[in-house]
Amino acid sequence: MQCSKNFHEMELGFDLSKAVAEADRCLLCYDAPCSKACPGDTDPGTFIRKLRFKNITGAIRTIKKNNVLGGTCGILCPSENLCEKACTAKLKSEFNILGSDNAIAIGKIQRFLVEHGWETGFKPLKPGKPRKEKIAVIGSGPAGLSCAATLAQHGFKVTIFEARAKPGGVLYYGIMPYRFNKSFLDKELEDIKELGVKIKCNTPIKEHKGIEKLLKQGFSSVFIGIGLWQSKSFHEKFDKEISGLYPSVDYLSGICDQRFKTIEQQIKDKTVAVIGGGAVAMECAEASVNLGAKDVYLVYRRSYLQMPAEKKEKIRILDAGVHFILLNQPIDYLIGQNKKIQGLQLNRTLLGKVDKTGRQNPELIPKAKWNLKADIVIEAIGNKPDSNSYKLYPSVKLNDKKLIINEKNTMTSVKGIFAGGDIVQGPSLVVKAVQDGKNAALDIINYLS
Amino acid sequence: MSNNIDLSIKFCGVKFENPFLLSSSPVSNTGEMVARSFDAGWGGVVFKTLHADQVPIIHPSPRMNTYNYGSKKNIGLQNVEMISDRNLKDNLLDFLYLKKNYPNKVLISSIMGFSNDEWAYLAKASEDNGADMLELNFSCPHMSVEGTGHHVGKAFDLIEKFTATVKKTVSIPVIAKMTPNVTEMIEPALCAKQGGADAISAINTVSGISEIGINDFVPKPNISGLSSVSGMSGSIVKPIGLRFISEMGQCKELSLPLSGIGGIETWVDALEFILVGASTIQVTTSIINYGYGIIQDIIEGLQDFMALKNINKIQDLVGKALPNIKSTDNFDFKHQGNTNYDLKKCVGCGQCYVVCHDAAGQAISWDKEKRRPILDKDKCLSCMICSFICPVEDLITYNKMPLTWNRKQAPVMGKIFAKDLKYKPFCNQT
Repeated sequence: MQCSKNFHEMELGFDLSKAVAEADRCLLCYDAPCSKACPGDTDPGTFIRKLRFKNITGAIRTIKKNNVLGGTCGILCPSENLCEKACTAKLKSEFNILGSDNAIAIGKIQRFLVEHGWETGFKPLKPGKPRKEKIAVIGSGPAGLSCAATLAQHGFKVTIFEARAKPGGVLYYGIMPYRFNKSFLDKELEDIKELGVKIKCNTPIKEHKGIEKLLKQGFSSVFIGIGLWQSKSFHEKFDKEISGLYPSVDYLSGICDQRFKTIEQQIKDKTVAVIGGGAVAMECAEASVNLGAKDVYLVYRRSYLQMPAEKKEKIRILDAGVHFILLNQPIDYLIGQNKKIQGLQLNRTLLGKVDKTGRQNPELIPKAKWNLKADIVIEAIGNKPDSNSYKLYPSVKLNDKKLIINEKNTMTSVKGIFAGGDIVQGPSLVVKAVQDGKNAALDIINYLS
Repeated sequence: MSNNIDLSIKFCGVKFENPFLLSSSPVSNTGEMVARSFDAGWGGVVFKTLHADQVPIIHPSPRMNTYNYGSKKNIGLQNVEMISDRNLKDNLLDFLYLKKNYPNKVLISSIMGFSNDEWAYLAKASEDNGADMLELNFSCPHMSVEGTGHHVGKAFDLIEKFTATVKKTVSIPVIAKMTPNVTEMIEPALCAKQGGADAISAINTVSGISEIGINDFVPKPNISGLSSVSGMSGSIVKPIGLRFISEMGQCKELSLPLSGIGGIETWVDALEFILVGASTIQVTTSIINYGYGIIQDIIEGLQDFMALKNINKIQDLVGKALPNIKSTDNFDFKHQGNTNYDLKKCVGCGQCYVVCHDAAGQAISWDKEKRRPILDKDKCLSCMICSFICPVEDLITYNKMPLTWNRKQAPVMGKIFAKDLKYKPFCNQT
C-alpha cells in the first residue's frame, strides 16, 4: 500500500471565506439544538451566530471560554453524531428547500475560529484574580487540561503532574499526527500555559498513596485525570516476549515518540492485523496503512454495524484500503521461531442470541478455523486503568473495573480529591473529558469556598 | 435556442434583433470587446463614452470596489472610472470596424462634451462614422468639471441646451441618459424632450460609498489614501432603476421610449424593466461579474417565458405592469388577511417565532418540546416577514380573510397608569 499523505501533516481547515459561507447556511435556530447536543457545552449555536454577525472575536471567546480545547474538539469530535446530528439545516434535505441539504460543518467552523484566534493574536482567556490556594492536577490529558485552565481563570495556582515526556495525554500519544498534529496541540497548550498553569512533564507520581499525600503537601485539592493507559488483551496470558505483537497503547504512543523510525521500519511493506472494532482499532489500522504496510487487516468478531467506531471513521478506514475481516473471532496467535508472531488463528462466527447489551452475540461456527498470516498483530480491544495506578490513591473508592467512583458530583470518596475523564467514565470522548474537567474545577471552587 | 420566438423590437425607429445592449462602460470599451459581445448574442452596444481629446482622461487606480453581503459576493459594485481613456480617432476606427462586420447590430455612440461646440462635434463625428444612434451622457458621476456628466443631469437647462445642439447637428435618433441622483427624474427627462430627445435611458450609477476601511478609515476603492462618493451599480440598485423607469413610463407628458438600466442580470430582471416601460435593456455590472455569456440565458429564458404565455412580441410586454402601480391611497384597505402555516414541512428552526415576536404581531408561541411554532391567526399582521425568513419554500403563505374578520389588537401595557396620562385628542383649530 502507498502512504497517501504526509504522516505528519494535517489537512488544512476552513479559511475565513469558507467559514463565513458555512455560517451563512446556518438557520440561526431559536433555542439552538446543536448547542444542546454538545457534551462540552461549547455552544455552537452562539459562536456560529457571532460569526454570522461578523463578531469573530466574540465567537472565539465563546468557544475558548466554554471549551479550552475547542480547536482540538473541532478536529477530533465525532461531530456528525453530536452537534451536527442535531442541526436543523440537515432536516432540510427532506423537502424542496432553499440552501444546502447538509448539516452545518460545525466542527470545521469551530476549528477555524480557534486557529483564526492564533493567527490574529486574539487571546480571549485571562487569568483570574490571584487566590492563594494551590491545586494539583494529575495527568495532562483533556480532563486535566480543562480542569487546570478553568481553575487558573478563577485565579488558582495550578500544577499539572505529567508522567510522560510531553503534555497532552492521549492527544499527544494516542492520535496520529496526520489527523491532529503536535504543533496544533502546542498552540492549544500555549493558551493554557499563558493562564499560569504549570505543566511538569516527566514527573510521575510513584510513591504509595502519592496522590493522596499531595493534600498534605500544600495542595488544597487534587484532580485525577490519568486516563486509561493499559490495553486490554485478548490473550489471557499476554506474553511480553512475543515479538511483533503490540498492545494498541504501545503501538500508537510509540509512533508518537522516539520509537517512530523503528515502528515505521517494522511496518513498511509488511502485513498487519489489527484486532478490534472501536476508535482505537481504526486509529491503529489507518496508521499502519500510512506507515506503508503492504496489507492491513482489521479483525472483528461481530458485524460491521456492531462496530463501536463512528460510521465516518469506518468509511474513511475502508477507503484508506484496510481489509475488514468481520465475523471472525481470534482464538490463538501463530508463533514462529524466536517467539516471532506469524499471524492469527481465526474462527468464523455467526450472530446468535441477543445478549445483555442488546446486541446479538457472535457464536463460533464449528470446524471453521483458519489462519491469517501477519507480520505484526495489534490488539485494540479496549483500554483499562494502569494496573498499578490505584496504589497511588488506595483510599479512593473504585468500581469492579478499577474505575474511580465519584460520590458527590466530581468529588471522589476522599474529600478534596476529584476525578474526571476516562478514569471515571471508561473509554469516552475528548469533549466529555473536557466537560468533566470543567465541572470538577467548578466543584473544587465550591468546595474551597 | 429552444424556440423561434422573435425578440426583435423597434426603438426610435431603429430595429434591434433583441432588446439587450451593453451599456456604456468598461464592457463596451473597445471594438474587439464589442465584437465578441455581438458574437455572444447581444443585440447592440452603447459604446464607452467618447470625448473630444481636450482633456486627458486618466482612470484612478484602483478604480472599483465590490459590495458583498455575508458570503454572497458582488451584489453591488462601486467604480470611480471616467469616460473612455482612448483617443477619439481610435474609437471611431472601431466604429467603422463594427459596422462593417456587424451591420445588423445597433451601434449607439455615447458622447460627452465639455462645451456646446464639443457636443456638436462629437455627435457629427459619431454619425459620420456609422453610429446608428446617440446617447448623451448627462450622468457620469465622476466628472468633476462643471457642465459635464452628472453636473449637467442636475442643471436641467443645460440638458435642454445640449440636447437641442445635438439634435440640430445630426439626423440619427438621440437618447438622453439620466442620473438617478435626483429626487425626481421626470423634470430633467422633460427638459431632454424639450431639447428634442427621442428617448430616455436610466439609470446611471447611484452615488454611494460601498465600504470604509475600518483600520485606515479610508473608504474603498482606496486611491493612495483617498476615495470618493461615487457610482454604485449591480443588483442592489435594481429597485431604484425600476422606480425611475416606471415613473417615466407612466408620465403621459413624457411619452418617450425608455431604455432600462440598473442591476439587470437575468431574463426576469430584464422582463421586470420591460413591464414597467423599458423597450431596450442595457447591462454592465452582471457582465463584469459573469462575462458576455449571460446573454444566452437572458434570451432563452425570455423566449421560453413568452412561448409559455403565448406572447409573440416583446412590444406586447412593454409597460404591462404600469396600470398596477399606484400611490398607496388607492389601496383596498378593507380586505385583510393572515398566514397559513403548513407545519408538515416545518424543520423547527424557530426563526418565525423570533421575527414575529420582535418585529411583528407576537402571533406565534413556541412549543419547546416539539420545536414547532403555534400560530394565533387572529393576531397575525400579514406582514409576511416570517415567510421571508423561513428556510422552507411555501411553508408560510398569505391567506385572505373574509370582510367580517377582525384582527386582535396588541395589548396595552400601561392601563394601570391611566391616571398619569397627559393627553387630549387632537382637534383642528380652524
